[in-house]
Amino acid sequence: MAGVPKRILKEIERLHNDPAPGIDVTPVNDSIRYFQVVMAGPSQSPYQGGQFKLELFLPEDYPMSPPKVRFMTKMYHPNIDKLGRICLDILKDKWSPALQIRTVLLSIQALLSAPNPDDPLANDVAEQWKANEKRAIQTASEWTKKYAM
Amino acid sequence: MDVPRNFRLLGELEDGEKGIGDGYCSYGLEEQDEVLMYNWTGTIFGPPGTPFDGRIYQLRVYCGDEYPRLPPTLRFITRINLPGVDQQTGVVSPRELECLDKWKSSYSIYTVLRSIFSKMTKRESRLPQPPERTTFPSP
Repeated sequence: MAGVPKRILKEIERLHNDPAPGIDVTPVNDSIRYFQVVMAGPSQSPYQGGQFKLELFLPEDYPMSPPKVRFMTKMYHPNIDKLGRICLDILKDKWSPALQIRTVLLSIQALLSAPNPDDPLANDVAEQWKANEKRAIQTASEWTKKYAM
Repeated sequence: MDVPRNFRLLGELEDGEKGIGDGYCSYGLEEQDEVLMYNWTGTIFGPPGTPFDGRIYQLRVYCGDEYPRLPPTLRFITRINLPGVDQQTGVVSPRELECLDKWKSSYSIYTVLRSIFSKMTKRESRLPQPPERTTFPSP
């Protein structure tokens, strides 16, 4: 492959040498743009104890445009839809080339700790979250046990 | 650069959700939560002024693990008499649809539906049609 951007190589090197806690990034078939990620659910969240799979892809114009990321593990979360697509501003209009794979993944992990039902992607989940938060959290925790452990 | 299968299909899904082209052909996932996105449903409105006019055709579209390096496979659910469609099963013969026969990874589910649509407008496709709202036997 011609001209792998140094920026990407540096990021991969750092992810390898100094991994973010609870986030494991593995290239798929030695790709430098396509990764499988395993993320530990944050403690004191209904995702605690779960190991969640994601896939991440760096499009051709990265870092000018954001990485594409989605969960492969089923999630009960108001900002994550049934196909694992994630509603997070830095993956869309708030993206900046100063952000990195690491910051994106840490932000996603933070989103698991702080669901935002007022900016939902999964409407049914968001409604449940607002109507009965305690029960929603319980469902999220059941899904974690069922799909991520 | 090749976009990995899943992100490629997520992009196609997004285009399909927004609505693509003039509306004669559309598609979406069969199950909204199928994370691996194998099974799709395509819909084609019969082109005006053809024997298919006024009819709505549904197809199953299957995108395998090797998509888009390999083409999808398609099967009509709605009965249709069209060259290249097996009259027992509704399966679209890849040999008889140019975009499948000469598949390129830049083609999409929409490309295939659109090329079936365009086949419906051909002179060779002016054939007697089965009764409306009949379906091929499910496999």
